[in-house]
Amino acid sequence: MTQLLSLFTFDRDEPMLFTSGLFWVLFLVFLPVYAMLKSRRKQMMLFVIAFSLFFFYKSSGWFFLLLVATSFIDWWVAQFIESSKNRTERRIALTVSMVLSLSVLLFFKYSNFVLWNWNALIHGNFQPLDLILPVGVSFYTFRTISYVVDVYRGKIQPVDDYVDYLFFLSYFPCLVAGPIVRACDFMPQMRENKPATREMIYGGLFMVMLGIMKKAVFADYIAQYNNIAFGNPTGYTGFELLMAVLGFTMQIYCDFSGYSDMAIGLGSIMGFDLGINFNYPYRSLNVTEFWHRWHITLSTWLRDYVYIPLGGNRKGKVRQHLNLMITMLLGGLWHGAAWTFVVWGAGHGIALCVHKLCKPWLDTIASTRLTRSVSWLLTFSFVAFLWIFFRANSFHAAGQVISGIFTDFEWAYLPVFLARRSTWCLMLAIIYGLHFVPRHIWDKLRDRFIAAPWWLKLVIFIVLIQLVLQFASATVQPFLYSQF
Amino acid sequence: MNKNYWGLWTLLAAALVFFIVLSFWQDGIHLGGLDIKTSTFARDMIKEPAGNRGKVADTLDSEGHVKSWRAPMDTTAKNILFIGDSMLEGLAPRLAAYCDKNGHKLVEVIWYSSSTLCWGQTARLTELINKYHPDYIFVCLGANELYVPDIKKARRPYLKKMLAEIGDIPYVWIGPPNWDEDTGINDMLAHDLAKGCFYLSANDKFERSRDGAHPTRASAHKWMDRVIKWIGAQGAHPIRLDYPGEGIARASRIVIYQPPV
Repeated sequence: MTQLLSLFTFDRDEPMLFTSGLFWVLFLVFLPVYAMLKSRRKQMMLFVIAFSLFFFYKSSGWFFLLLVATSFIDWWVAQFIESSKNRTERRIALTVSMVLSLSVLLFFKYSNFVLWNWNALIHGNFQPLDLILPVGVSFYTFRTISYVVDVYRGKIQPVDDYVDYLFFLSYFPCLVAGPIVRACDFMPQMRENKPATREMIYGGLFMVMLGIMKKAVFADYIAQYNNIAFGNPTGYTGFELLMAVLGFTMQIYCDFSGYSDMAIGLGSIMGFDLGINFNYPYRSLNVTEFWHRWHITLSTWLRDYVYIPLGGNRKGKVRQHLNLMITMLLGGLWHGAAWTFVVWGAGHGIALCVHKLCKPWLDTIASTRLTRSVSWLLTFSFVAFLWIFFRANSFHAAGQVISGIFTDFEWAYLPVFLARRSTWCLMLAIIYGLHFVPRHIWDKLRDRFIAAPWWLKLVIFIVLIQLVLQFASATVQPFLYSQF
Repeated sequence: MNKNYWGLWTLLAAALVFFIVLSFWQDGIHLGGLDIKTSTFARDMIKEPAGNRGKVADTLDSEGHVKSWRAPMDTTAKNILFIGDSMLEGLAPRLAAYCDKNGHKLVEVIWYSSSTLCWGQTARLTELINKYHPDYIFVCLGANELYVPDIKKARRPYLKKMLAEIGDIPYVWIGPPNWDEDTGINDMLAHDLAKGCFYLSANDKFERSRDGAHPTRASAHKWMDRVIKWIGAQGAHPIRLDYPGEGIARASRIVIYQPPV
């Protein structure tokens, strides 16, 4: 009994993830109950809320109460904003809500960052705070802010029932690492509560499988070499470091988009369309396009709730570029409380400004295969280069990687590397190859999977899980983005 | 239930049953030349749930309840035996500093270039236990086995023998500081050792000495600090290991064995 109970209590070392066996078992319990309650909206919602909060408890312990408190405050604030006719009162309510939401985020995520920097300034000596970052706090904070702001702007009506709002904010597929689904997209689906079709259910399973493959097969496997090389850059040649950079470029994509695919797939199984979060970002021909394809729900959130309120492009060129830089710097800091993330964000900000400045000239260049290839190569190299700052633990380490690549690079290592790390190279080649498979082929595959007989789906699913087992590393790598 | 949900549920359930059944083959399945790995479902969820793997799980408290996999902090002075390969050169002096600070006695046994094979093929560990009567053991082995092919088949019997020799004595096994991808030593250790008894070093960062493999002394000291911190936070047998400040010390006794021929 004690052993069974331990499965249902929070374990800091083993947070529940979509890829864990326990989630699989619990989902088997969840699914039939959900299916039976689906048509009874209120009961279904209460059941999903209970499951979501339990999921959050398994991931972050008692911090799930923070989510409950945040949801209640913001639900009430939104009601107040809607009912109040006084502009000052509405503004104060909005400010209070944002200060509360952001202070929780800032406290858990940036306290130690601020203390470290303060310490460096005054040459002090302190112990960092022993803080646990509640899983997904960055994501649900952004979702609740967007809801209150949208109500304030009159873009959406607030929900009358608190249960509706708690359902939206705690919805477990989006809880840990997004996508940052907006209330205006989610609430109408919640109200309609349409039954899930066969296409949604098995299309969802297809997405979940794709996500598992990206995360648990590809990302986790190639992470092993990346971790070693980034952990000791001076021990590797320029060629090996370049391979680690290319590896990490794909690792972070597979890791995060894999998680998003699983979340979107689970949403689809439950009858909800959560949109898309990644649209083959490494196919981009310029940095602006990259940000239209990478983490779409975050970049649109930053656009709508930071860039545009700052003035967007409405206050002249200089202000536009300044707004862009501020937005990207904040975006960088959102990813992690370290200066390396700020530099990563700044790099993208500068690139976006440069692209905007050069756009009139770039538009005059004819679009040929050669120009597209050059554009792609420049964009991809730049994005991959900036990932070095994202991955490295310090500027010193990033410098070692960069200097290794530029001062100690020899093609002679290629055959040795291929021979010694043949599986890793094969994996990387497959992922890059799959990334450039046209979308309509993926759609066709998805449709074929949906139409396939039950036993064939089962075989495919089993083969996939076996692949995960075959390539599993000694410890499961956490979702990179769940740490943000 | 909607028939599509029913179809999905049966699919997931059938696959789960399939992998649970396979998981009873704990060492994997060998089909021709293919080594098919199996999951840990059976051990984790049915046979030995919640990380109660290993001997610690089988012990009962005075009221007959199964003990948690994590013992409470033991604040008594310990007789510590630290065995392993050349990595001990960097690790042991730092551990000795912790022992000095906390009143433990440390015996350090370095067997250069050794592996689980060397220790498992001899009775050296039993002899050391009989001689020094440790009530806590540190092991650091695996660095000489990073590239052993088919490692589970080749080394698991020796690992099991070592664990049998350790018996009920609380232990911590410090995994090798990978400088390269291994062929499965860390997988095997993570799988076979009791929960909270294996410190995975593979993902740590090290400054390497000139040979590119051994951490520098300073890096090895930080490595030991991380292990100690981990024992306090996640180890199965936390003991008193208060921070001794910077610096190193010398073990009460140092035994050195030359590399195996």
